[in-house]
Amino acid sequence: MKRKILAALLASTMVLSLAGCGGSAETPAAPAGDNGAAAEEAPAAEEAPAAEEAPAAEEAAGGDETLTVWCWDPAFNLNAMYEAEKVYQKDHPNFKLNVVETPWEDIQTKVTTAATSGDLSTLPDIFLMQDNAFQKNVISFPDVCMDLTGSGIDFSQFAAGKTAYSVIDGKNYGVPFDNGAVVACYRTDYLEQAGLTIDDFTDITFDQYLENGKKVLEATGKPLISMQAGECDLIMMMMQSAGSSLFNEDGTANIVGNETLKVVMETYKTLKDSGVLIEVNSWDEYISSMVSGNVAGTINGCWIMASIQTAEDQSGKWALTNMPSLVGAANATNYSNNGGSSWAVTTKCANPTLACDFLASTFAGSTELYDNILPSGALATWAPAGDSNAYGTPNDFFGGDAVSAKIVDFSTKVPTNITGVYYYEGRDAVATAITNYINGSDIDTEMQTAADTVNFLMGQ
Amino acid sequence: MTKGKKFGMYLFLCIVSFISVFPLYWMVSAATNKSADVVSGRLVPGTYFFENWKNLMASQDVGGAFVNSFKYAAILTLVSLVISSLAGYGFEIYHDKAKDAVMSIILLAMMVPFVATMIPLFQMFSKAGWLNTTIAFILPTISTPFLIMMFRQSARSFPHDIMEAARIDGLSEIRIFFQMFIPTMRSTYAAAMTITFMNAWNNYLWPKVIMTDATSQTMPMVVANLTQGYVTDYGMLMLAVLICTLPTAIVFFCLQNAFAEGITGAVK
Amino acid sequence: MSKQKKMTLSRKHNLTGWVFLAPGAFLILMMSFVPMVQALLLSFKTGVGAAMRSCGITNYVRMFQDAVFVQSIKNTFFYLIIQVPIMLIFALVLASILNNRNLRFKGLFRTMIFLPCATSLVAYAVIFRSLFANNGIINLLLVNLGILDQPYSFLTHMWSARIVIIIALLWRWTGYNMVFYLSGLQNIEYSVYEAAKIDGASAMQTFFKITVPLLKPTILLTAIMSTNGTLQLFDESVNLTDGGPANASITMSHYIYNISFKYVPNFGYAAAMSFLILVLVAILAFLQMKVGDKRD
Repeated sequence: MKRKILAALLASTMVLSLAGCGGSAETPAAPAGDNGAAAEEAPAAEEAPAAEEAPAAEEAAGGDETLTVWCWDPAFNLNAMYEAEKVYQKDHPNFKLNVVETPWEDIQTKVTTAATSGDLSTLPDIFLMQDNAFQKNVISFPDVCMDLTGSGIDFSQFAAGKTAYSVIDGKNYGVPFDNGAVVACYRTDYLEQAGLTIDDFTDITFDQYLENGKKVLEATGKPLISMQAGECDLIMMMMQSAGSSLFNEDGTANIVGNETLKVVMETYKTLKDSGVLIEVNSWDEYISSMVSGNVAGTINGCWIMASIQTAEDQSGKWALTNMPSLVGAANATNYSNNGGSSWAVTTKCANPTLACDFLASTFAGSTELYDNILPSGALATWAPAGDSNAYGTPNDFFGGDAVSAKIVDFSTKVPTNITGVYYYEGRDAVATAITNYINGSDIDTEMQTAADTVNFLMGQ
Repeated sequence: MTKGKKFGMYLFLCIVSFISVFPLYWMVSAATNKSADVVSGRLVPGTYFFENWKNLMASQDVGGAFVNSFKYAAILTLVSLVISSLAGYGFEIYHDKAKDAVMSIILLAMMVPFVATMIPLFQMFSKAGWLNTTIAFILPTISTPFLIMMFRQSARSFPHDIMEAARIDGLSEIRIFFQMFIPTMRSTYAAAMTITFMNAWNNYLWPKVIMTDATSQTMPMVVANLTQGYVTDYGMLMLAVLICTLPTAIVFFCLQNAFAEGITGAVK
Repeated sequence: MSKQKKMTLSRKHNLTGWVFLAPGAFLILMMSFVPMVQALLLSFKTGVGAAMRSCGITNYVRMFQDAVFVQSIKNTFFYLIIQVPIMLIFALVLASILNNRNLRFKGLFRTMIFLPCATSLVAYAVIFRSLFANNGIINLLLVNLGILDQPYSFLTHMWSARIVIIIALLWRWTGYNMVFYLSGLQNIEYSVYEAAKIDGASAMQTFFKITVPLLKPTILLTAIMSTNGTLQLFDESVNLTDGGPANASITMSHYIYNISFKYVPNFGYAAAMSFLILVLVAILAFLQMKVGDKRD
């Protein structure tokens, strides 16, 4: 009998609580009929800040100096935030951070859900955003990110190529954080067997890279580089190294007739066909190919070094230099960027002055912070940090080279390109094109198909 | 059965079991190896278990997440079983054209991908001021077309003569459900419990969207956190995954006799 | 018993039925149908992010011009047609073997076969990717046995990528479905089997003449659930192949997710595609119910 009562109780509470919920749920459904978008959006936008007033007032009254932050990767991003907290606490003893570990995909899902629902109350004060997603989010959800122009943060001291990711319509929406400057890493012991040194790979072109690669392949049986099939990381890096993008300034797709893209695709296929580049099935396998010594090197954002260094037994056998440049592309350089992220402040933030001051005096103003997070592998894109002595420390894993200073130098030379709001659409379409092209399709047909796919997704 | 046939059957079962368990063996073994060895495909157990354990505990609040997950999964399973079995029973025992039609309509509820209904649902809870509450966490998954249909299908084999006898004895309808149906259908309940617990335990997307506090992390979220870094520590990841898998495995192991040993026969 | 009294009794039972199913049905109404109606309204709108405008049935026309979505429909149906029947038959065979009273180590076998679906998705994805890697165990085996000359890159070829997904699905869900059959089998009197044995029925005959007909309600349940699960397949496409190579293995739900969260969000279009899934599952489920949901 007890169970019966319990069940009845449960059922009735639920019916009651749901009745309350149901009533309010009808409200949004009503205007969702056929009114224009503008009429519908207005109340939603107004409601969000209204709902925020209560907690905001509470915080101000209590003199609370707590900021909530979302980011991922404990060893890297969370660690950086905790170090920043320590630095800021020296002058602001009441300051506290509430860092919630949230994977990037989840941050994206939560931001999308909250912004689409018009209720930003679940969002934090500050969150970390992938650079490639910045344009998309700021333009799709103009209510989410705060315009940081004129907030006291000096953006001129960041590498220009990096800051460009989070600038929309001339306004700064993000404080640049980790460095994604591209590095080329090589196993010096394998190069030696082919009679080569790291100098033979510095400031070279992809033609020379291919020639060297063939020698290494012959001498050791190891390809020079592995890449995850179906992901076009290398393609995008090659594109940016010549300052080229999949989109034009006006937002239209720049795929058909993009000579750089064509050169990139052809170069990639040549590398693949020669066996100098091997495609692997997954990210795990890509990492595995390096740490188990099945490839003689890689080209990627400098953050890849942390993964390479998990193979402790290979210490001293690696060296680092810049990437090869494209042959036959205008403005080809040996520098590019892959990945990286920046801090965004939400409009929901109850204390924007505090949030901006915190970022201005840490990530955009503290050499100490960047020195403290250097051991975790977090490299600055903030120019003054690169002058610090800590950046000149030799790294034994990479043959005693001062790699940190080198990378900061690389990052200042990265050409700026256009991410575009439809970055992921473009990237996926090109990934499909390159896969088909490698398998024997005609390059022009594939580029046309990719352009069609992107244009289709852009046309609403 | 001949000896040869019997041998064949055991051989078949062994092969199937081996294929089923091998990846899990790999997982257990990986939890005792260091990351670089795991990605290189090392299959034998190593000596890195305690190191992985230490790293995992230092990086994630596993204890808290485990307790959260268990709490949510237990509450959800209990409430869900009562509500859904009552409904399934209602649909079948008192079936008529109207109820069969309603059942078909209810089935439609599971046919739309959750991505499409997630935002309206979120809006609903946000309007009700229920974001970040336990009730918002569990409410959407309490009553599922799947469980209702499962109980409806099993109720089909609930013997009508028992019911008639009980009615003649003067038992009320609700008592027949609690005193006759639930004990008779123990095997169905046990199976439903295993599956519901498993689904609740692994639930990810909705909890992630509706709960934002660091203190409301669940086990699947801990596992997801570990895959996000620039460097993935595969040994540590596999250990977390192992911890995340164990409860469901244990629940299954404990309940399997209940749903596979013919208790219905004993009651009859 | 007078006729009138019987009428009231049946009306009473009828009412009791409604009361019993009310809480469950009400929750589904609120938690599923209300959002579904809102999603349906959304499917007639288009726009970026939160700025939506009405567009009539454009989204429903658009999806059939969307080459990637059409490809995803084909892929999903390929999985459905190949994987669901194999999985259900296999689960049924396993369940009837494990229902044998004279079998030893039943509990052990059962648990081992069930375990795959208890495995967390992350582990399962990592494990499968590593099994089918260029230097993975499968390639190692095939090369050493002389079946292949050199490792085959399973996940980067169109058909092998799809087949890996099917193998992964079979591995993960066969034990799950077996659980329903095992529990369903308990409602069949074991003496029926013993009688059949005495009559000299072969294992095959017993399986088709007794097990399958008596398990019909459960088979219907699993068939509908698997159809639904496969048409909404998401995890495997995202985690094993990321839809590749060149969209050869992408599923409908994966593409809808991309449209909602990876790309510039267009929830109107995503909702419209979701309703196509609803229509497809509903048609298939309706057919299955027609065939399988008769009370004898």
